[in-house]
Amino acid sequence: MRLPGSFFTAFALSTAAAWCAEMPYFSVLSQEQGSWPAILSSIGFEAKPPGMAHIFVARGGAAASSEWQTRVENGAVLILEGESSLAELFGFRRSKDNARVGSLTDVHNPKLPIVWEKALELPVFEIPAEARVFAHDRWSSAPLIAGYRRGAGAVLWVAVPPGERGYERFPYLLAALCDLGVEPPFRTTGVWAFFDSGYRSRVDLDYFAQRWHKAGISALQVAAWHFYDPTEEGDGYLRKLIEACHRAGILVYAWFELPHVSDKFWNDHPEWREKTGVLQDAQLDWRKLMNLTNRDCFRAVSEGVRNLLGRFDWDGANLAELYFESLEGAGNPSRFTPMNDDVRKLFEKEKGFDPVEIFRSRKDAASQRAFLDFRSELAGRIEEEWLGVLESVRASKPDLDLVLTHVDDRFDKNMRDAIGADATQVLPLLDKHSFTFLIEDPATIWNQGPQRYRAIAEAYQPLTTHREKLAIDLNIVDRYQNVYPTKQQTGTELFELVHQAALNFRRTALYVENSLLAPDLGLLPAAAAAVTRIEAIGPTTVVESANGVGLRWKGGALVDGHPWPAMDGDVVWLPAGKHTVAPAVGRLGPQLLFLNAELRTARVSDSGSIEFSYISVSRAIAILDRIPGKIEIDGSPQQPAAEGAALLLPRGQHLVAIRSE
Amino acid sequence: MRAVALFAALWVAGSACAQTPDPAYEPLARAYDALKARDYDVAIDGFLKAIELAPERASIRKDLAYAYLRIGENELARDQFQAAMRLKPEDTQVALEYAFLCYETKQQAQARRIFDRIRKTGNPIAEKAFHNIDDPLAAGIARWKEAIARGADDFNAHYELATLAEQRDELELAAENYEKAWRIHPDRRTVLVDLGRVWKALNRLEDANAALLAASRGGEPRAAEMARELLPERYPYVAEFQRALDLDPGNVDLRRELAYLLLRLDRQPEAEQQFSIITKTAPDDLLSATQLGFLLFGRGDVNDAMPLFDRVLAGPDEDLANRVRAVLRRPQVLRQRSAEETPVEVDAKIMAERSMKAGYTKDALKYLQIAHEAEPGDFDVMLRMGWAYNILHQDGEAVRWFDLARHSTDEKIAAGALRAWKNLRRSNETLQTTVWAYPLFSTRWHDLFSYAQAKVELRKGPLARIHIHPYLSLRFIGDTRVTVGAVSPQYLSQSSFIVGAGLATVPWRGITGWVEAGSAMSYVTGHVVADYRGGISATRSFGASLTGESSGIFSSINTDGVFVSQFGNDFLLYQQTRLGFSSGPKLLRAQAYWNFNTTVDVQRQGWANFVETGPGIRIHADFMPPSMYLLVDSMRGWYLIHGAYPVAHFTDIRAGIWYAVTR
Repeated sequence: MRLPGSFFTAFALSTAAAWCAEMPYFSVLSQEQGSWPAILSSIGFEAKPPGMAHIFVARGGAAASSEWQTRVENGAVLILEGESSLAELFGFRRSKDNARVGSLTDVHNPKLPIVWEKALELPVFEIPAEARVFAHDRWSSAPLIAGYRRGAGAVLWVAVPPGERGYERFPYLLAALCDLGVEPPFRTTGVWAFFDSGYRSRVDLDYFAQRWHKAGISALQVAAWHFYDPTEEGDGYLRKLIEACHRAGILVYAWFELPHVSDKFWNDHPEWREKTGVLQDAQLDWRKLMNLTNRDCFRAVSEGVRNLLGRFDWDGANLAELYFESLEGAGNPSRFTPMNDDVRKLFEKEKGFDPVEIFRSRKDAASQRAFLDFRSELAGRIEEEWLGVLESVRASKPDLDLVLTHVDDRFDKNMRDAIGADATQVLPLLDKHSFTFLIEDPATIWNQGPQRYRAIAEAYQPLTTHREKLAIDLNIVDRYQNVYPTKQQTGTELFELVHQAALNFRRTALYVENSLLAPDLGLLPAAAAAVTRIEAIGPTTVVESANGVGLRWKGGALVDGHPWPAMDGDVVWLPAGKHTVAPAVGRLGPQLLFLNAELRTARVSDSGSIEFSYISVSRAIAILDRIPGKIEIDGSPQQPAAEGAALLLPRGQHLVAIRSE
Repeated sequence: MRAVALFAALWVAGSACAQTPDPAYEPLARAYDALKARDYDVAIDGFLKAIELAPERASIRKDLAYAYLRIGENELARDQFQAAMRLKPEDTQVALEYAFLCYETKQQAQARRIFDRIRKTGNPIAEKAFHNIDDPLAAGIARWKEAIARGADDFNAHYELATLAEQRDELELAAENYEKAWRIHPDRRTVLVDLGRVWKALNRLEDANAALLAASRGGEPRAAEMARELLPERYPYVAEFQRALDLDPGNVDLRRELAYLLLRLDRQPEAEQQFSIITKTAPDDLLSATQLGFLLFGRGDVNDAMPLFDRVLAGPDEDLANRVRAVLRRPQVLRQRSAEETPVEVDAKIMAERSMKAGYTKDALKYLQIAHEAEPGDFDVMLRMGWAYNILHQDGEAVRWFDLARHSTDEKIAAGALRAWKNLRRSNETLQTTVWAYPLFSTRWHDLFSYAQAKVELRKGPLARIHIHPYLSLRFIGDTRVTVGAVSPQYLSQSSFIVGAGLATVPWRGITGWVEAGSAMSYVTGHVVADYRGGISATRSFGASLTGESSGIFSSINTDGVFVSQFGNDFLLYQQTRLGFSSGPKLLRAQAYWNFNTTVDVQRQGWANFVETGPGIRIHADFMPPSMYLLVDSMRGWYLIHGAYPVAHFTDIRAGIWYAVTR
């Protein structure tokens, strides 16, 4: 039941709550909200009654009222869905033609195939001359999303509802909204991204570092196997990458994909190659797997890893996917590992038969179960052993952060048998070792909706008391499942995924940097912001967030009533928890433009000094608006390492005082 | 001096030539400045503008490609290098860059081909790059062949092998293994697209078409979309559907679409065969079961239809089941539709109604067809289909849909459909027989005249396509007095049976043309004479009709031009106009009117040129057949050719009965 009458109530209320017009509130003018709340909240907008909203969604059949024209002229953003007299009022009229729409082209990514799971027979709409078409039917060119700015406001029209989850039909709906002048209210800087230099060998690294910074990326997990074997060209590239990232406030981690070591190592040591269930060398896709159970191989690789970590100015190391292959498990012997001689001997000694026989003469369930259990325990032991190797590097690099990337095997229970991954073996290691447990979203559930992150978080929280160490890794890649409308998550689907991940975990990582599509970069930091409340109380804005957030803000700010130095002119950076922000006038001396760490406090101590405290599991990076005259850390004058205007600060919890003299 | 002047002139001309501005100079200068400042957006914009101004210059495309590389747009860079390579094929560096970027952007096969071509010129970089691609491909192919030989005869092994083989241009091997992989997992429709693509590259076009057509129907929409890109734009032929089904016999959507196509082509037995296969191989496909059931039921094969109906009735699709119940005249089962089930997309029936209201009948028809395919037992849709076809002047189709709809259990739908069906059926049967009779008594002649005709029209066949109906006719024209005048008897009518064959046009806006040849046999004299006649008839009526239910003004105009050989090859033109008022309940309706009649002829015969006027009344009672009425006209007439007829004017009261029936 839609309530067009409530529009008029909205007008009356809106005059009484004028200050709310600037708040990031939206209202769906119908009892049937559809997926609009999911779409709009994914980048930080909050549902409120019509009287407080700034963005309005009028669903199909909405009644026309000329008052809407004034409303839009005065700054309202009106989203029109399908056919209605209101849509006609703004010039979107059904024509005599029809089109069967099953795929579309969007201006934000014209080459991307966008295919609907269910094609629809739709009328072709005539759109106003001033409207820009953002998406059209691929075959008939019938407009599907179009909009225009009018006065201080804008109108966005979509031909049909966006789908049950909000992303089934129009991935770049939010991009179109932003093109019409809508700005998301928040941003965060806490996203990690995996990085493979193979895809970025000829790019301008400084340009990219700035791009990643703008996209809210705070750390790159750099594929380290490309640099395992020293080369002049490779080492030079990596040094430049690390320097560029540090200048942009981005941390750089060495990402290992053991038991893949490097192509050279594979070629040099055929005797240590892993074997599959059909006893072939285990070259599976791009990974060339080595037998780390072999002690000689282990020693050689661990020495190489220490050397690699020592050669570069890494901020951390990430031990990823250190278990076995493949997702098809014992069902596909040609991809099943491990079946090297060392493992076979160990197992035979323990259980009395060669495990390769599970594909030959011992295909019974009990034999297979025996080996799968053995294999899972072995994977756990190997992970612990390698954590030890990485921790040993901290002797020379005390600020080095450690990460263990481990596929989820709680939500998808098949993972243990498929690849040997068993979180229950690894999570207790958090009691003894300091590392982040990065849960990889398993490929088998990539087709499921954003709500799965809550389920994953709930599945892990009982397994450890170190919940702050849990993080989630989202694979942003082409999925093997039949997923729609895009093979890879992009646009609204990506934002909903990232937003849900951010609401349920302290840290979100994205695999992989080069797969992130350009139209997504602008809204990614908004999606990654986990804000639980924003409210206007007079001229003051109250913001509550779990992990700290950047609030879009112009001019000076008082936070919790005090002058605030952590801001960059467009954004004011707030610590976790509840804070009030109010306008302030005047220049506040040095400014902390950006901090890659968890900001705890900040203050202006005098006209030329600021102080802030932070906590970080890795080094922290602070970017200031000027070269500081004097720096004190925890009360001691220090000269921390710097890369341009970026200061590299120590791991842990610290108080930093900056003086501009 | 002349030489100096000539030199000066040449110098000036030469200078002018040398200073011809480079059209791309300004945007290029801007682009290079921006490149130095690492402002790539501005640089790229400048290069693109320069390309617009100098599209044949490969160097601009090269520089643009390098700018794209700096910002990680490898695909765009690749495309620019490709364009540069086309403009300057001898530039090996550009070709190598293109090949490297092909490799990086997942176009490995193309990269391998380019490197292969360049290495054959002795280029060591290309040689190395070729081997970097080719050697792992060769090794991978060998490895997967070995894995298959060792027993890994699964989807993954065949698919991996096929993919590597395609990248290495070993297309036969690729096709073989794509097909094997697809046979193992027929639901992986993208593999069928892969197979079609490789067959196409192998020039096995019919096979490719079959694979792509099969992939384009049913299964994954994405695979269908990919297949559609590779298929011809035209709609497939029946033979192509059949070939695709030979490849993919389990493709229910494909087979159902073929069945519907056959139905539209009036190839019902073949359509039934396809529906029958579906109902056997895919018992869950209740749509096909319903459609086949209706087809069987429609032609009286109730025994075969009932098991199909039972299946639908026992199935989960309540809407389909209700359609079946409607046909079987059983009570409908209603269920509450949950909020989640409310379709968000616009319903085809609603769209049809909107289109109809807006006057877009063809669109309405398209939506109705969709609605019908979704719910083949929806009689309301059938009735609407009938009306839509009727409006589009496709009465043959309209009759078929009215016929289906008149079986509805909904009385309103059934009655409407029956009425329309009866009206239209007549005009759409192969043979149509019309009999009319018009006996009337004339006070002027004290005679009972009778005019009648029985006519059988052939309404289908080659002539029907050009809107002409051949017919056989038997006319009767006679009276009871036969003659007047004792000395020189004058026949009051032809007193004949006239047997003839003729051609008549399909009425167009009330206008009909006709010609007829035959023989007139006088039942008075026994003479048989040749009879040729023909003419044009136009009829228009306005206002409340005699058989309608509303009262009101009416008028009718009949104009006939007739050639009759028996009247001395005369051509007569006569017009009858009636203007009056219709009234009365359905039980007894009457029209009171005024006549204005004029008759003239070409040969200026006295009897054939007169005007007459006077009141009249027509009466139709409910118990009468629909096209029967009584009429009485009281006329006053004047002959128009002075002296050509024994009297100058006349008065005549005519009472008669009109009756016509068409079967």
